[in-house]
Amino acid sequence: MRVGRWGFLFAVAVSIAACKGGGGAADAGTPSTGGKTLKIGAALSLTGAAAVYGNTQKNGIQAATDAVNSSNTMGGVRIDVVVDDDASSKEQGINVFQKFINQDKVSVIIGPTLSTTATAADPLAQQAKVPVLAISNTAPTGITDIGDYIFRDSLTEAQVIPGAVKKAHQKLGFKTAAVLYGNDDVFTKAGYDVMKKALDSEGVQIVETQTFAKPDRDFNAQLTAIKGKNPGILVVSALADNAAAIVVQARQLGYTGPILGGNGFNSPAFIKNAGPAAEGVLVGTSWNSASNDQANAAFKEAMQKRGATADQFSAQAYSGVLILAEAVRKAGSKTGRDDVKAALAQVKDLDTPLGKFSFSDKRDAQHEPSVQQVKDGKFQILQ
Amino acid sequence: MLDWFLTYQSLFAFIGINGLLALSVYCTLSCGQLSLANAGFMAIGAYAAALLTLRAHAAFPLALLVATVVPAIVAVPLGLPVLRLRGVFLAIATIGFGEVVRLAFVNWDYTNGALGLVAIPQKTSLWMVWIALALALYVLGRLRGSRIGYALEAIRQDEPASRAIGIASTHYKVAMFAFGAALAGLAGALEAHFTFMVAPSGYGFGRVVDMLVYAVVGGDAIFYGPVLGAAFLTALPEALRGAGQAVGLAPGPLRLFVNGAILLAVILFLPNGLVSLPEAIRRWRMRRMPRAPLG
Amino acid sequence: MGQQAINGIFLGSIYALFAVGYTLVFGVLDILNLAHQAVFMLCAFTALAFVSGLRLHIALALPLAAIVGGLLGILLERLAFRPLRGRADSNISGLISSLAAATIFESFALQMWGPDVSRFPFGTFPDKPIHLGAATVSALQLTIVAIAIALMALLTGLLSVTPLGRQIRAVAESPRAARILGVDVDRVIAWSFFISSALGGAAGVLFGLAFNSVSPDIGRSIELKGLAVIILGGMGSVAGAVVAGFVLGIIEVFTVAQIGSSYRDAVSFGVLFLILLVRPRGLLGHSATREA
Repeated sequence: MRVGRWGFLFAVAVSIAACKGGGGAADAGTPSTGGKTLKIGAALSLTGAAAVYGNTQKNGIQAATDAVNSSNTMGGVRIDVVVDDDASSKEQGINVFQKFINQDKVSVIIGPTLSTTATAADPLAQQAKVPVLAISNTAPTGITDIGDYIFRDSLTEAQVIPGAVKKAHQKLGFKTAAVLYGNDDVFTKAGYDVMKKALDSEGVQIVETQTFAKPDRDFNAQLTAIKGKNPGILVVSALADNAAAIVVQARQLGYTGPILGGNGFNSPAFIKNAGPAAEGVLVGTSWNSASNDQANAAFKEAMQKRGATADQFSAQAYSGVLILAEAVRKAGSKTGRDDVKAALAQVKDLDTPLGKFSFSDKRDAQHEPSVQQVKDGKFQILQ
Repeated sequence: MLDWFLTYQSLFAFIGINGLLALSVYCTLSCGQLSLANAGFMAIGAYAAALLTLRAHAAFPLALLVATVVPAIVAVPLGLPVLRLRGVFLAIATIGFGEVVRLAFVNWDYTNGALGLVAIPQKTSLWMVWIALALALYVLGRLRGSRIGYALEAIRQDEPASRAIGIASTHYKVAMFAFGAALAGLAGALEAHFTFMVAPSGYGFGRVVDMLVYAVVGGDAIFYGPVLGAAFLTALPEALRGAGQAVGLAPGPLRLFVNGAILLAVILFLPNGLVSLPEAIRRWRMRRMPRAPLG
Repeated sequence: MGQQAINGIFLGSIYALFAVGYTLVFGVLDILNLAHQAVFMLCAFTALAFVSGLRLHIALALPLAAIVGGLLGILLERLAFRPLRGRADSNISGLISSLAAATIFESFALQMWGPDVSRFPFGTFPDKPIHLGAATVSALQLTIVAIAIALMALLTGLLSVTPLGRQIRAVAESPRAARILGVDVDRVIAWSFFISSALGGAAGVLFGLAFNSVSPDIGRSIELKGLAVIILGGMGSVAGAVVAGFVLGIIEVFTVAQIGSSYRDAVSFGVLFLILLVRPRGLLGHSATREA
């Protein structure tokens, strides 16, 4: 069959048309050198493995934006948020960042949801000199290390887990532990490294270590091996979906000991999917849900009004917007990229749902973490 | 205009890289072999180049060269036994190879296992990708009408018959297998130095399926078909982003549905791919024209 | 040790049930139906919808979902395979066509149920643990193994004893000869797809129950394992798929227990590779070529 030169020309024409089609929706966007709007690009995982976190983050961001815009404390500056889905993938994350930086011309980017995506996409922002505020990247290294335009308000696993392990050890006095972690995700693997160190420094002997991958659904083999060693506690570093299945299967296999989870457990989706098996599970958290601070109360109320869940992820997202608003205030109502970047570093003891918030000199988050336990189908702060 | 280009810079780069990947699958398709090993070769090339630039601070051209050559070298001893298998067995064996490569990287601590390598210097520029693509197109285009090209076509049509007339089909098949591996490795290295990181999750079964789809949708009967398919399918999610939001459909499912629907439509109605669209339209038009009366 | 063996049999029964449908279609049409895993996944969701939405008992939802699966199989055959039947490269184009169908099915699942993991409501199946010595097995696990074995036995019986079964075997041997002998090949193919997809769908429901996870991506992971099983068992051999399914399940579980979970999949694919190089027709398969 003959394709000939018409086929070839057609080929070229279609490729150009396909490319241009994507560009058609572009508009100039607000320039990044100031003006009366703070344009924020929110790169969130609305689909994919991290969708449970991304969607609640979106709610937190929108709630905070409404609160700040109606509070009239911004010297006339309005916050405008553009939300885009990074599909929990690093390629999409890069595309979204590119769009935010060059097309929407945002002053600052919030996100992305997963640490894995951040390691690929944040360097772009650093190169383009656009500040990024991470609200859920908790891998201890590889995030703010990327450069001086990368900030985060999420405590790393290294800041939360040791406290949780210590408290659990105090209360339960276990001598041995088994660890189960996901070896195909930056966050869960980093969580494991921290857990191991924390257990070692508490003098607890790790009798069994097992791994799994995100797509896995059957954990019986690993859990059987773990149960066989009779550990005093099972420590798990997993994302929410795996976490629920692991806990359910562990109980089904007859493991009755305590379970301690990393940050991935911090989602009501975990409790929902694990059902009765979630009772008693301990989780370190960045968000003290029981706190009666004014900022926290306002946050919980705003979320309730929207019919959305108040959880750690939405709390960190909400706080993220508050932090950015404070940065604009400190910059004298200037909204340019470098203004925001310089002012972020000056945010100190800001009242947020997470407590009093400051950045460390490495641009990491600094505030008190807590430990919680699932009781009666809800997260309760462990005093 | 320039802003638009900057925003879509990465899109153009991905189009070029995916074009190379589509061509790598085309290499084996052109002699009738359905090989799905190229995600594995891509991983080998990407990791080799990344390790060289990260750990040994090698020059980028050297890393690219290694990324092109090493997969080809691996392909030869792999191809000799595996290309003996027919049709679907070859496909499955090559899928298995790809998975084994991916799992090897997941379990290799030197490369950080499943987390992969990060902070790879961004050495790839747009023109590099497109020059590589142009070169690949040139080489494959020259095969057309040459002795090698005719031999490949003969093998594709009927391998036993081609051997009967004296074509050393095994040599040609292995050669194309290795050349495809080289292209995939090169594409992998270019991509790694564009996206700052490599991780095993990027080189799984889904990846090689994408490559196959680019080649098939574009048209696997002619050397530039796969590139057209790659361009079209890479640009499509961007083009659809606005449309989906307008209709209220989530972007993820919409993208998948459109990919699947296009693939199905092509395989059912346009088996020679998008490149054959003008021809197909012409034929469809002619069929509808009234026939001239006889005599 | 005993517990791990139980885990292996449990996992293996689901692998086997999934693979049996896969290999049946290959035997009959010489085509790898890559949409089998999508039917597996959709039926899991269908059963979930029956149980949580329509409040049906799982004993009713399972067969209903399997029937839905069978119907999906017939649809699949009509839309994606039949139009390609005359073509020379029908294996490759069939593979690609089934891939397209799988993608479309997955997009439906994503749009209707989202990417999150759903689960059957608590209490769908009584969760009583049963102790066999040092090992624990739940009533659910026992039931799943029993159902899987029963279905596979039914299939084997159908193929060996019933007229339809004989016709299926005839078409698998040689469609042309079967047609000459008066077999309605189109009808037989449609039935094969119905049975294959119904079994695959049942496997999906059992999977969802077994691991309390139903999500649009459960098909992806099992599709590759399914390939390993049918190659190990022998393409086209139902008995082979059954044996290989259990063997692979046990191998995987013991790999995790003794070597490490990171190597589990590598071992499965290593086995696949070895078989293809050394004995392509698998444990119980016939020789690789097939009559027109």
